[in-house]
Order: sequence, then C-alpha cells, then structure tokens
Amino acid sequence: MDLLEQFSNIKFYLLGSYPQGEIGGLLLNIILALLTICLSFWFGVLLGYSRLSCRLYIKLPCMAYIEIVRATPLIMIIFWVYFFLPYIAGTNITVFWSAVASLCIYAAAYQAEIVRAGIIAVPKGQLEAALSTGMSRYRAMRHVILPQAFRIMVPSFLSFFVSLFKDTSTVFIIGVIELTQAGIIISQREPNKMYAAYVCMGIGFWIVSFSISQLARRLEKRIGIFDLESYRPDACRDEFMLLPKKKIAGEETPPDISCRSADSR
Amino acid sequence: MMITGVKVTLILLAATTVTSLVLGTVIAIMRISRIKILRVLGTLYVEIFRNIPGLFWILFFYFVFPDLLPWGLGVKLNSYLYYPIVAGILGLTVDNASYVSDILRSGRLAIPHGQREAAISTGLSRVQQYLHVLLPQMFRITLPPLGTRMVHNFKNTSLCMAIAAPELTWATQNIESLTFRGIEATTIATLFYIFLAGIMVSMIILLEKWWKIDVSSISHSKA
Repeated sequence: MDLLEQFSNIKFYLLGSYPQGEIGGLLLNIILALLTICLSFWFGVLLGYSRLSCRLYIKLPCMAYIEIVRATPLIMIIFWVYFFLPYIAGTNITVFWSAVASLCIYAAAYQAEIVRAGIIAVPKGQLEAALSTGMSRYRAMRHVILPQAFRIMVPSFLSFFVSLFKDTSTVFIIGVIELTQAGIIISQREPNKMYAAYVCMGIGFWIVSFSISQLARRLEKRIGIFDLESYRPDACRDEFMLLPKKKIAGEETPPDISCRSADSR
Repeated sequence: MMITGVKVTLILLAATTVTSLVLGTVIAIMRISRIKILRVLGTLYVEIFRNIPGLFWILFFYFVFPDLLPWGLGVKLNSYLYYPIVAGILGLTVDNASYVSDILRSGRLAIPHGQREAAISTGLSRVQQYLHVLLPQMFRITLPPLGTRMVHNFKNTSLCMAIAAPELTWATQNIESLTFRGIEATTIATLFYIFLAGIMVSMIILLEKWWKIDVSSISHSKA
C-alpha cells in the first residue's frame, strides 16, 4: 500500500522538480552518465594513447594521472572539485558542472586503461602494414589501429558505462538532486514509511542499469571480436609498448619503426 | 580524529573483504549448483545487487533495515552506537559479494572438467571436492580480478561517510567544518588512500606471483 502511494511522487523520482526548477531524479543520473562518458571519452583516448608513447615525459605524467585517480575514491575527487577547485582557481562553478567535472576526471582514467588495453590487443602487424604502405603514424592510428581497437573495447566500455551510471549516485553528497537525493528527500517526508521510498529508488536504478547491461550483452554478441585469429593480446603485448627493444647478443635487432616514424613526422 | 578515521576505514576494509569473500563464495557455489532453486536464487541475488549502486545499499541498511526487523530488534540496532559502521559493513558486503560471486563463477567455469572428474574418482564427497579441489583453484585463477575488486571495495568504504560512519572521508569533512583546514585534511586523506591502494595492489601482485596458476597449464584433456 505504501508502495502504491509512492506513485504520486513518480514525477519527482524521474524528473526532479523539472518544469519549475532544475532537472533532477533519474533523468539527471542518465544525463550525468551520458555527458560524462561523451566528454571523458576523448580524454581517455588521449591519455590511453599517450601512456603507450615512447617518450617518458609524455608517458610518465599520464601514468601518474591514471594511477592516482584510480587509487582515489570518487567521493574524494568530488570533494576536491567541489570545495577546493573554486578556492584554488577563484571561480565559481555550479553544482551540476562540478559533478560533471569530477565524474569526468574519474572516468577518464578508467577509459584510458580500457583504450590502452584495446590498442595493445591489436596485433603489431597491423601497424607495421599501415606504416609500410606509407601512412603517417597519425593516419595509421586513425584509420587502421583505432577502428580495430574500438571494436575490441566495446564490451569493456559498456560495462564501464553501467558502473559509471551507478557511480553517478555518489554526487548526491554535494547536493545534486539526482535519484538518491530525491529518494532521501521523499523518505524524510514520511519517516515511518521510509522503506517505500527506498524501494522505489532501488527499482529506478535497477531498471536502467539492468536494461543497459542487457543491451550491452546483445551488442557484444553482435559486434564481438572481429577476428579471433588475429586477436592475440599476449603475443603482441611486449612489442607494442613502443619502448626500445632489448638487444639480444649476436642478433641484429630490427629497426624500431614505431618510434622513428613519430620523430620524422 | 584522522587516526580514528584511518582505523575505522581499515576496520571496514578488513571486515568487508572477509565477509564479502565468504558471501560471494556461497553465492557462486549456489549459482553453479545442480539444484535449480539455488541457481535461480543465486542469479537473482547477483542481478539485483549488481545493478543497484553500493551507496544505495549502505543507505538502505542504515535507514531502512532496522525498521524491517521484527521484535524491536531495530530499535536496539538504532540505539547501538556503532551502528553506522555495522550498516556500512553490511551494505558494502552485499554489494561486493555479488561481484565476487560473478568473478568466482567465471573462475569455476575456467577449471577443466577433468579436475572435477579426478576428484570424484578419488572418492571425495561433494563438500570435499569443493574444499580441496575446486575452491582453491577458483581463487587462484581469479586472483587478478578479485584483487581489482578488493581495491574497488576499499575505495567504496569512503561512501560510508554518507551515513556518518566515522571513517577517513567523514573525518576530513569534520575537520573541514570544525577548523576550515579542509585542504590539508583532504590532501592527507587522499594521500592515505593512494598509499593504501598502492600497498594493496603490491600485495596482490605478490600473491599473484606465488599463487596464480595459468588456466592453460591445467590439462584440457576431456575424459
């Protein structure tokens, strides 16, 4: 019965106080997740690619960023952005944008790892073939490596998206009225019927993330990994690190195309 | 205050690691058992708990769970001084256990059939099969993803600040509101998180070196 009464609040759960005020509720969770993944995707590609660079001054900062962000809880990042970014930078940003910014910082590190794993998984022969047809390194990456790498990345991207959607619930801590906060507000109106609000909240999260994960499962089957024969991550891992190769005594090392062509460009 | 925070974080970490491993193992075994009801229950558990954020479960166990308990147990729980910590442990455990069970299940599927058959043919009972043959291999095969999950779980302990469990993040917020020295406190807390995550990762790498087995090294011959 208490659950049925919650239907009167359904608009607040889904949209927040939208027509009168800001967008909130479940829609805000979805918007946050989509916006974050769109924005941080480019950072992720950039970071993940730079982490594979052969130049230490590019590689090390990226590695440091990825490792530090991955070792910090999301809540800490949110606090940093919300409380101390305005203090340091001297500007004010709204709660919504600071939530987006902190989620982006968080997501970029994870996406960088996904991108790196994807690029590593593309066999080295592909890059060599592309370079030997006279493509520049950028074009080889753009037209040969990355399209294949993205296909490998799709499953991990989707599962990351589900987990990011769930992580958007964390931003309630700075007062963004998304589904968690909406549920808490409603539950505090009637403290003796708290469970009803929580059940609604849970159902809201569950429906969205369950449907995304089901969609992901279908998409995975459809796209799949393009060619199982050439999909040998272990076989090409060492070669693709773009680091100078170790010299084996009595054996001439082949010229390192990956580094040289980057310099000549 | 900071040191209490560190202590509480460590308590949360240790408790949730142990409990979620146990619960996760039980559910993984349920999901691969022959009895259909157990399988359905296990799958239901994983699907429900994995698709709802951990923060929700922490809030749920803190605010709602005591109300649902019969015989006035809830009132006792609510008046219990350390209930935020207990609720945090419960919430993190149920959240983490679903992931752990999923990882362990994939580990079970990676064990070749011959292992089970060999265990049966040496006359081990079902319980013995799991204890001596299957479970050790499950844990060893899935060590890297389990480790990642545990580091994730460690980071999730910071969510317990939402229910005012006095752990590290909560302590920094408290210091901020008492002394306005937020930046210093948050820096120290962040460094601590990074430091501890680093320790956990290196421990896991060490464990992997000692314990990890390659799936391909187990023979794949089908009897």
